Amino acid sequence: MSLLKLEALSKKFGDHWALKEIDFSIDEGEIVGLVGPNGAGKTTLFNLIACRHRPTSGRVLFANEETTLCKPHKIQKLGISRTFQSSRPFAKMSTLDNVVVGRVFGGEFHLFAQSTDIDSARQLLELVGLAHKEQTPAGDLTLSEQRRLDLARALATQPRLLLLDEVVAGFSPVAVKQAVDLVRRVRQRGVTLFIVDHFLSLSLRVSDRLLALDHGEKVAEGRPQEVMRNREVIRAYLGTRYEDE
Amino acid sequence: MWTTVVVSGITLGSFYTLIAMGFALIFGVTRTFNLAHGEVLVLAGYAAYWLWKTSGVSLLFTFPAAVLVALVVCLILQRLFSRLREPLELNSIVMSFGVAILLQNGMLFFFSGDYRLIRVPTFNQGLHFNTLYLSYGQLTLLALSLLVIGLLYLLMRHTYLGKALRATIQDREAAALAGINVGAMGILAFAIGAILIGLAGPLYGCVHYLYPTAGLQATLLAITITIFAGVGRIRGLILGGWILALAESCAVVLFGASWRELVGAVMLITLLALRPQGILGREQ
Amino acid sequence: MQVARAAPVLGLVFLLLLPVFARYNDYVLQVFTHALLLATLALAWNILGVSGSISLGHAAFFGAGAYTSALLSLDLGVSPWATIPLGGVLAAGIAAIMGLFCLRLRGAYFALATLAFVEIPKVITDNWDGLTRGSLGLVGLPGLPSLRLGSYHFDISGSLAGSYYFVLGYGLVLLLLVTLMFRSNLGLALQAIREEEIAAEAVGIQVQRYRLLSLLLSAFFTGITGACYGHLIRYIEPGLVYGLHFSAMPMIFAICGGRFTILGPALAALVLYPVDQFIFHPLLPAGHEFLYGAVIILAILFMPSGVWGQLRKGHFVSIKTGSIE
Repeated sequence: MSLLKLEALSKKFGDHWALKEIDFSIDEGEIVGLVGPNGAGKTTLFNLIACRHRPTSGRVLFANEETTLCKPHKIQKLGISRTFQSSRPFAKMSTLDNVVVGRVFGGEFHLFAQSTDIDSARQLLELVGLAHKEQTPAGDLTLSEQRRLDLARALATQPRLLLLDEVVAGFSPVAVKQAVDLVRRVRQRGVTLFIVDHFLSLSLRVSDRLLALDHGEKVAEGRPQEVMRNREVIRAYLGTRYEDE
Repeated sequence: MWTTVVVSGITLGSFYTLIAMGFALIFGVTRTFNLAHGEVLVLAGYAAYWLWKTSGVSLLFTFPAAVLVALVVCLILQRLFSRLREPLELNSIVMSFGVAILLQNGMLFFFSGDYRLIRVPTFNQGLHFNTLYLSYGQLTLLALSLLVIGLLYLLMRHTYLGKALRATIQDREAAALAGINVGAMGILAFAIGAILIGLAGPLYGCVHYLYPTAGLQATLLAITITIFAGVGRIRGLILGGWILALAESCAVVLFGASWRELVGAVMLITLLALRPQGILGREQ
Repeated sequence: MQVARAAPVLGLVFLLLLPVFARYNDYVLQVFTHALLLATLALAWNILGVSGSISLGHAAFFGAGAYTSALLSLDLGVSPWATIPLGGVLAAGIAAIMGLFCLRLRGAYFALATLAFVEIPKVITDNWDGLTRGSLGLVGLPGLPSLRLGSYHFDISGSLAGSYYFVLGYGLVLLLLVTLMFRSNLGLALQAIREEEIAAEAVGIQVQRYRLLSLLLSAFFTGITGACYGHLIRYIEPGLVYGLHFSAMPMIFAICGGRFTILGPALAALVLYPVDQFIFHPLLPAGHEFLYGAVIILAILFMPSGVWGQLRKGHFVSIKTGSIE
């Protein structure tokens, strides 16, 4: 059964079609990579799923429920969580508090954070390898640490679907390898993942399927190797000269 | 009666525009709000008052002194503003609020809290056109305001400097890429702003009582007119000044003088509520 | 760090014992009573401040609280103990109207709107002669009735020490409430909104609802302080209670003290106001308040997280760290 279903989703900014008639669906438990060159519409697609923008036409269905017109804070309650292309930590709050925020507002509301909230926040910091920094203000973390914190915070809301936007951009090969392990562990927790990854370093290794976009249109979908052999995808990434090689 | 309202509204409104222009220019070029704007205006007024009172020179000769005082203060302010960190707009508000307190207390120290007025005897005489009466004071205010506004318009439209300033207002980064020294434009904006304030100060001292905390009202009207106009549009500033002054005059006639202060406040809040993303939001 | 631990305790001991030392010096007690009132204003201001919004219009709430309580107790003869909370409620009501127009705004534009907003209740109070007696103000406000606990009799309005301890007690209660608020999930939400509104929304925080709540709470306690002020001073007028003073002071104290901390705003009030009154006022009778202008300029240029925030670097309000900041 599909967890997320996009039906003819389109978004127009001014005269420019950022996305055009995207049909796609993701099954529960899958890891799907979203690839495409700059300006292909990847982040726009995420913003539509996360209800930051409203589509010009088309529908988004999550767990068979239409979410096209939800408010951003509401979509999280239904089980979609996200990280941001440029990470957005709560800079002056401690690393632990950052994750606690996700836990507290993702779950049932209490006036005060419960000790179980703090415990599970600690476990998530452990998972992303930030346990030793729990009292550091999030703004003082390095870029890669902030990305992992973003991930921990998103996971803390206990999503069914997690949208990862460029989590490994600028990472060293070692850090990318760690991220691959991390993403697999996240999947083991029963989370479905949708990953934007411009340089393919993460999505090629972990994805079950890829969705390739170019100029706002779907050019290919399927198993990673197939998609990467697709002529349109090669042309989109490398230009026409490499098409026949 | 209503013609009197309209005439005094246009007169006062032109003067309001003159007051607002410096504020709008500084905001447009540097993206900082100078809440001490009114205080500098009142200070320039005090400078003129002091010169007029102690040496008995005519009003005309007080303008250079007022301009000089405003220039010195504004160039110091520019140094302070240029050190601000992001978020620039908010931090400039907080800091210039402090500057306003500083200036208010300085004026209290030097000029005491007494109400001062520059009295020009001829300003109370005037001309009659049928039922309409125009005092020389009003005529001077109107003529000088329009003259200065016109000069600024020519500067902005027809000189290289004006083009550079307008380019900076429209897009700082593009202006910098085109070789415009954006930092220098900031200094220039404060300098021109200071000259405008300095020219308005003595006039302000003729039509308003000077006292150390008088500046807030002037600052509020400058903000209101600037938000009304959006940045970099002198025509908008003129229209904003006239509308504000006319609305104030109507409120005074209909409800009484004590309701006047409410007009500007309500207008500002309404404008902001209608344009929540601020003056620069038109790009989105 | 040690300063940060010791200072609040020493400060509290000092405040508790002050009337004993200053028994024969009325002026010292008056100054510290007013400093404590300003400290409660700064604490209340920062309930909104912690969410990242800077208000230049809290005098609207202060004046509304003062006038509501004064009029109810004067005209209807109700006990101030009943009218003071009503002052807070009306202040919150005014804040709800303000929120309607201003909460869509952020940053600088919110600050400008609040600055203009004060004029509305001020001009209305000034002109509604039938109800408020207009610009003449209200005189002869009833003082705060003494509190009885069994045989013990605590006189508030009769003695300076009584007024002082009353304001100190109110200040400590407010400090406790603010600490609880900031440590609660409400505080967590407000800080998250301040730091990254979009991310806050993405983790499920209803941004506008929390911003409104913080504005209402902030206004409520500012209104309570305004009401208490009226009954302590026994005289209010529009120009005084809606004046720029009561908008500016809490903002200045909160930013200089540290608006990301709990204690910073109150500490700044308790230090700066006495310094102003005991040192600068005698030196410069006209113009001594330049001090506040100078400190806010210095703070915004060199210490944007405030003195207390700087001392507690990296230990702003947190649900985890044990001590009160």
